[in-house]
Amino acid sequence: MALPNKVLPGFSASLYCQASATPTPLSTANLSVYASTSALAVSANLLPVEAIPAFGQDDAMANFNVAGSRQSDKIPTQAAPTSMTITAAWNPADANLLLMRGDAYNGTIDRTFIISATDGTNIVNYAFNGRVGQFSVDPNPTAEAKCTFTIHPRGNQYGWSNNT
Amino acid sequence: MKLSDAVELLTSTYQSLDAVALGLPVDAKEVADALAKADPDSAEYVALQALAKVNPYENTKKEKVKQNDDTNQE
Repeated sequence: MALPNKVLPGFSASLYCQASATPTPLSTANLSVYASTSALAVSANLLPVEAIPAFGQDDAMANFNVAGSRQSDKIPTQAAPTSMTITAAWNPADANLLLMRGDAYNGTIDRTFIISATDGTNIVNYAFNGRVGQFSVDPNPTAEAKCTFTIHPRGNQYGWSNNT
Repeated sequence: MKLSDAVELLTSTYQSLDAVALGLPVDAKEVADALAKADPDSAEYVALQALAKVNPYENTKKEKVKQNDDTNQE
């Protein structure tokens, strides 16, 4: 995977989703290609989320003990990518939020998502394929309606790229 | 296996590139040559990088020349 060669001191991040109700996600190799990911990171594909949650890899390890030994051993095992729980203002007319809702009801739609971080000039894209596993709307009348959904990234299907 | 077939497989797979590349027997020199010519912002380049990682190419020709070099003044 190409690693980003830019440090962005102070940046804004946005979340984009691939359009279409029946998308063909980018292949693993294309997730590391800036030309491929930036084509999806366009304003029409922007998800109106309140904040970008933590993303990356969860921890998974096995503990091994030897009788009589003071220390045990933690061996990394197969870890899953971090699931991302996202909150957005619920707008039933927003096409991308409706796509998320449709994905959650379906449960088997793989879609490419892009987290794009920029300081105004330099751009770093983290692209991954994922499925939406949960979607709920909080219609509390004392505040604006919010929707919450969870993206479960697919294992191994991620890539980093940057514009320079 | 032909390099073009391996690259095509790697650019279309949804599996881990490193894991797939391990199972693709290709010529290391061919990979190194193709990598030098590839566009860094292309899926082919990413695929070739994965292949180069498991098929490292070392140019041994220069070392042999050095070994046979009798101009050493020591």
